[in-house]
Amino acid sequence: MSRRYDSRTTIFSPEGRLYQVEYAMEAIGNAGSAIGILSKDGVVLVGEKKVTSKLLQTSTSTEKMYKIDDHIACAVAGIMSDANILINTARVQAQRYTFSYQEPMPVEQLVQSLCDTKQGYTQFGGLRPFGVSFLFAGWDKNYGFQLYMSDPSGNYGGWKAAAIGANNQAAQSMLKQDYKDDITREEAVQLALKVLSKTMDSTSLTSDKLELAEVFLSSSGKVKYQVCTPDALSKMLVKYGVTQPPAEA
Amino acid sequence: MSIFEYNGSALVAMVGKNCFAIASDRRLGVQLQTIATDFQRIFKIHDKLFLGLSGLGSDAQTLHQRLVFRHKLYQLREERDMKPETFASLVSAMLYEKRFGPYFCQPVIAGLGEDDKPFICTMDSIGAKELAKDFVVAGTASESLYGACESMFKPDMDHEELFETISQALISSVDRDCLSGWGGHVYIVTPTEVTERILKGRMD
Repeated sequence: MSRRYDSRTTIFSPEGRLYQVEYAMEAIGNAGSAIGILSKDGVVLVGEKKVTSKLLQTSTSTEKMYKIDDHIACAVAGIMSDANILINTARVQAQRYTFSYQEPMPVEQLVQSLCDTKQGYTQFGGLRPFGVSFLFAGWDKNYGFQLYMSDPSGNYGGWKAAAIGANNQAAQSMLKQDYKDDITREEAVQLALKVLSKTMDSTSLTSDKLELAEVFLSSSGKVKYQVCTPDALSKMLVKYGVTQPPAEA
Repeated sequence: MSIFEYNGSALVAMVGKNCFAIASDRRLGVQLQTIATDFQRIFKIHDKLFLGLSGLGSDAQTLHQRLVFRHKLYQLREERDMKPETFASLVSAMLYEKRFGPYFCQPVIAGLGEDDKPFICTMDSIGAKELAKDFVVAGTASESLYGACESMFKPDMDHEELFETISQALISSVDRDCLSGWGGHVYIVTPTEVTERILKGRMD
């Protein structure tokens, strides 16, 4: 009966729901998961790579993590083509701010600006919403390290630890149990890898199924966004007991 | 008086052996009055690419900010730095966009391209590129600079000799130009490091 209210984004159903937005969130629930954890000295983002085939041409670019500006990065979950459009929009918004004010865009303002774009697709134009959720990690001089989660409706919130994508509710409850306020960046990496290994569907966890990125302050005080190399990631997986070490030939 | 001579400027870039040098004066004036003696005219785009902008100070700063915008987006999308030749084409295109209301700037671009080969070029205020193998000059002191560079330049100088040569050329030229001077700012760029030096000349 409520099928009459599905086809257009711009109308409410009688129960007061926007079905297209909810269907977009369903699409994300089937996509590869991503977890973000805020620590005192940095933000950690971990993502599960859904597409792992031997035929895939590996390049240096990442599938789940993207740099928005020197001080902001994001992890995505959902329809990749939609994500590419939004990431490009976010990058241009950040540069426009820097051009006008000659300083880096504050993280929350960037998230808000992008969410305003997403909201537009739920209210006018007759176009479908973007099927992407984001985890934004960044640093600015007003609030230090921050982690934000946003969804297709254009809602966003600041989080200490958050999960998006497949099994995100299970991951979120695990994070709630194990997160402590004064966690360090190393402990956050360990927690993120542990939670992801438990919520991922695959039986064995190897570095080619994951991506890990961190946002932290380098020794010279500048914000750095660093994606972990596959070798370093393999070593970490073994160190934290999340995977079996490779069998000695 | 021409708008290009309103603030006063002097810029020169030279090619050496596997290195380049780019130098500018430090004066910012409002016609005959000097209002700053530490004005930055040379900007780093990335470790192997420098841009100098002579002419109107305000246009130089705005143009630099617009180029940072474009280059940052390029770096994010292509996941690498821009080659100097590509950057020169970008600057040229941006200047020509304003063909009938131009930026009153004359850029000097210097960088290390593929295989760290030095690249320098200059262009006029509407983007006409001029590639050179030895040196390029710009600014109110450009005529003196042409003369000084032509006589002092030798090909394949190493970075020490290049520094001496470009500094001498700059200082002797700005001394003959009332609108530029108050010292010099020299960048020597090799594939491994960037050295920045301040020159003290006639402080007038």
